Amino acid sequence: MMKSRASSHLLILLAVTALTALAHYAVHYGALIRGYETSWMSGARNVGLIAILALLPPIFSFLFKFRGNWSIYTACVILFSIGLTAQYRLFSDPEYALRGPERAQARLDKTKTMQLHYVRQVYDADKKAMLGLPPTPPSPVDISQEIRRPVVEDADAVLKSGRTVAPLIAIVGLILAFALMRYERLLELVRNNGFLIVLFTVGLLILAAVFSTAGKFLGEMTPWEPSKIPFLIGFAAVLAALYRNLARTYWGLPSGRDVVPLVFMAVLPFLPFFLLKDFGQMMVFSGVYITLFAIAVRRFAQRFVLIGGVVLIFSILVVGALPVNVQEKIPLLPTVAKPVKEILPDRIQQRFHLWLDGFNPPSPETTWWKKDYDRYYAELVRRNPKLPALVEANPSLKKSINVDAWFDNLAFQPAQATFGLNAGGITGRGIGLGYVEGIPVADSDYIYAAIGEELGLVGGLLVTLSLLVLVAGGVRIAIDARDMFSKLCAAGLTAFLGFQALVNIGGITRALPMTGITLPFVSHGGFSLITSFVMLGMLMALSHRNWVDRQLAADLREGRIFTEDMEEKE
Amino acid sequence: MILTDIESFVAIAMITFEDIFGGQVLERIPAALSILYLIAIGVVIFFLISSLRGAFARPDPLEEDLPTGVASRITQAVTNRSLRIWRVVFFVLAFTVFGLHVYWTLIAADTNEQFQNLTYKDSRQRRANVASLRGWMLDRTGTLENALASYEIEGNRGLTRKYRFDSAFSHLLGTERGSAGLERVLYGGSIDPMPSAVEVLTTIRRQEDYSQDVRTTLHGELQRFVAEKMAGKKGAVVVMDPQTGDVLAMYSGPSYKLSEARTQDGYLELEADRRNKPLLNRATREYYVPGSTFKAFTMIAAFRANKQGAIFPSSAGGYLAARGARPIRDSNGGCAAPYGCAPLDLSQAFAVSSNQYFARMAVELGGERLGKTAELLGIGAYDTPAEALRSNLFSDIWNSDNDRLRGALAVERSAMVTGKSASRYDLALQGIGQGYAGQMTPLQMALIISAIGNMDGRLMKPKIEYGIEPRVFSDVLAPFQAARAREIMALVTEGAGGTGGRAFGAVRSAGIRTGGKTGTAEKDVVAFDSSGRMQTVKKRRRGANGKWETYDAPRMVRRVDSWYVSLAPIERPRLAIAVVVESGGYGSVTAGPIAADIVLKARDLGLLRNNGGRR
Repeated sequence: MMKSRASSHLLILLAVTALTALAHYAVHYGALIRGYETSWMSGARNVGLIAILALLPPIFSFLFKFRGNWSIYTACVILFSIGLTAQYRLFSDPEYALRGPERAQARLDKTKTMQLHYVRQVYDADKKAMLGLPPTPPSPVDISQEIRRPVVEDADAVLKSGRTVAPLIAIVGLILAFALMRYERLLELVRNNGFLIVLFTVGLLILAAVFSTAGKFLGEMTPWEPSKIPFLIGFAAVLAALYRNLARTYWGLPSGRDVVPLVFMAVLPFLPFFLLKDFGQMMVFSGVYITLFAIAVRRFAQRFVLIGGVVLIFSILVVGALPVNVQEKIPLLPTVAKPVKEILPDRIQQRFHLWLDGFNPPSPETTWWKKDYDRYYAELVRRNPKLPALVEANPSLKKSINVDAWFDNLAFQPAQATFGLNAGGITGRGIGLGYVEGIPVADSDYIYAAIGEELGLVGGLLVTLSLLVLVAGGVRIAIDARDMFSKLCAAGLTAFLGFQALVNIGGITRALPMTGITLPFVSHGGFSLITSFVMLGMLMALSHRNWVDRQLAADLREGRIFTEDMEEKE
Repeated sequence: MILTDIESFVAIAMITFEDIFGGQVLERIPAALSILYLIAIGVVIFFLISSLRGAFARPDPLEEDLPTGVASRITQAVTNRSLRIWRVVFFVLAFTVFGLHVYWTLIAADTNEQFQNLTYKDSRQRRANVASLRGWMLDRTGTLENALASYEIEGNRGLTRKYRFDSAFSHLLGTERGSAGLERVLYGGSIDPMPSAVEVLTTIRRQEDYSQDVRTTLHGELQRFVAEKMAGKKGAVVVMDPQTGDVLAMYSGPSYKLSEARTQDGYLELEADRRNKPLLNRATREYYVPGSTFKAFTMIAAFRANKQGAIFPSSAGGYLAARGARPIRDSNGGCAAPYGCAPLDLSQAFAVSSNQYFARMAVELGGERLGKTAELLGIGAYDTPAEALRSNLFSDIWNSDNDRLRGALAVERSAMVTGKSASRYDLALQGIGQGYAGQMTPLQMALIISAIGNMDGRLMKPKIEYGIEPRVFSDVLAPFQAARAREIMALVTEGAGGTGGRAFGAVRSAGIRTGGKTGTAEKDVVAFDSSGRMQTVKKRRRGANGKWETYDAPRMVRRVDSWYVSLAPIERPRLAIAVVVESGGYGSVTAGPIAADIVLKARDLGLLRNNGGRR
């Protein structure tokens, strides 16, 4: 049995560092098989990052006298290690990194290399002669004898790249968050000004939303990720102040004085995210707020109303977006679904169709699909002017064009991801041996698909288990916490990380509609990675506080210190 | 001394490294490393979980000192209970999400039909196939030069698939989309182009058994010759070896260029051409009215019932199968030449293709006997016309252990109606290849005569893979009966008034004895105009509301198809040939000469020689 001690976790984390190096070597070797090379510097940078994280336990013990639980930290580092490996695999691949004709050329180069390896290994002299190659018997390929195509290493670029800077800021953020959250005074201040914090954050966010385009700000950034933390603190503070009052009911209803601020605080964060059309974050937020509410509220009826209400809204949405052929199987459903369908925005209908019926292309007449279909069809007609006549002569042709259009456009990414999961099997194709470069944005939103393809079900299970370790540890911190505010904070942080991961993974395994949010600690990201690490730092601080509290309680009980000392200390 | 110790240690270490990771397959090293990574991370997570187990078991800080009744009611305890419930809910959600991962990985490929049908949209399948190169497809000569499908290095584009005979083999090799052909079924099953990491480590030995070449029974040159003969014609040709079931050639015209079908535009255009239906494999998937060639079937049934000695009269008024039925006359409107309206025996009737004789024979034999013969020959014998009209793919006729291959080559099952609902007139018509027997595929006709051509009177299952053992589909005739039937078939080319005599003159003078049967069959088909659109005529019908309404019905035109089936050489047939040419007119004029040319070409290619044993 392992004790949650810094020294043992140091050992584990050093092992994880070594494993990360090993996995990066696998990526490197896989690249050689396909005729390109990986950057040594980026690899060293990644291993270095894990090494820094591995060395934090002794530093924390020494600097902060940290005695909290290390398990959640280690679980997060494992997630980070898996993520860095998957990202290294993707970003090294010229086919993934490049765009346009260069990308096609990179793909061709890879294919040629693999074909020639195959021919060399398998074809006998006669066949090689027929291909016009030197007639040698089948022989193993010696990678070291191949022509090298080293990557141009640029230390400056690697150091300045976001992939170095963001994790470093994240680590600093983790340390800062931990250091700050230890102070009771600060917590007190935050708790008493929850409402102001939330208002201020909303103001900033709405500004950002106004200047954003397509849910992105200044290029590919999502600076609203960190806003989760003030929102959470604010909501937890209000809830901690009001939860007792909610239990006092008049004819079964709590007083409006208590309900209105709560509802107001709960709705506020949804406004900017609605403006940003970030439905993924909205889903995560609703999950977290329901969690906090369900934990804080003591009356069953109130819990029932809230959770039931959210479930109802969600199922109405689902019913509205269910594919027509499914609706027709259930009596009355089409009647219910029709008005809902008319209200639902196209974007949501499209996401829901991709989720529930993604392998079945919608009819080209569907409002949200017509535009894309027409564009695709126009492109086909441009290439082949005879097409409209052909379609007229043979209506079934339209159907096969629709299938092509669907799977080359909207359904391309999710379908390729699902094929990726399928190709992975139980143990995966092996690091560097899959075709993850074919999935668009596999480094962030779709990284779970990349892991599923190259590390298989087992890889997915390891990610899920790490997540569960994190959640179980976080819940434990909440249970051990002494006051409602820190309980809610711990539970909220855990729920944020947990639900975000579920929404992301669920989007890929088609348990939920796909929304563009990242997998915490695993996905490539700037602000989202920093936010995740800061949240981890806060959780660790709360864990540390619990230990301090427990220690105090034990000392009090055993008469080592007295209440007067406590007051002095305060 | 120490130095050598270190050296030998390093050497031993290297050997173990080689043993574990192996040198043959490059992919082994990353595969082994990734498995190692998975296992080690798994162990770490196991430690983490076990370290948390203590935390799970630990009681809440407050509850330690308070009596349980009190503890369960205070706020903190309520909150903690909620937290525990939430934790359970979260675990359930997480495993549901992961469960769907399991579904897509392990279950969907077997059960989800939509998912299966779309695998051609999987970009990695294509990538893997291109990278790990399919095997070469060799013809029956087994030489690399004659490979039906091979590779060539095309400039800067790497290795590309090369089809030496291209459009001659299109239907057999098949396209990458739509229904599968040999290209997709011969290589997919045996070796996974995308092995898992574990398979890379355990099963794949690239050098020893990685050659995926397949030698087929097809003959490239013969098929090309057939394609040339059929150029510009619609129809199909099947050439097979009646002794072994080897399919030597199977061509459907019009064909298409495989390179054309590879592009999306090209494929869509082929798919849209409803007038010519180039993607349709007419040899296995199109029904034709067999006409007189089907008399070979009736002859087999007669032999099986021991009625080969039957002598029937013929009359100028034709044969009346039942009172009030239309009389069945011979093709010249009365009695077939040269015997005139004299009583005929089986051999005479066959040589001159007497409709009266075979119609009467079918009625004499009765539905049950005809049905039994049909089943032995792979034809579906049904009780009612409705059942016979239903499309029914028949894959078990093929001799192959590869399910996917049998599925890809599956024939549209030929059909007859021989049950109680078939009247005497229906049977009479079927006896001469008309009526309900008008649903025969060219391959089916080749199979019927190959049963006669087989020295043991057996129907051999047709096969495409060269290496597998011949298998018997059914025992149709006794050897002596088959021999007698062959002699009767020879009369068509050799006897007085034989309908195939003229077409096979050159073959006869080359010293090759053959047997055969001509056929000329009318079929009503939908008409198309020159731009490929279906032609329609206005027709009136009573609508759903009881009122008369006009509607567009397809305009039908009568097409006369030309048939010839042949066995060569007749002493010990190596070829069973079925030729059908749509709108070809008389069998002896269009199809017969093509069959004769095929026999001569086969002789030139050495395919008529008997190579001793029974192969």
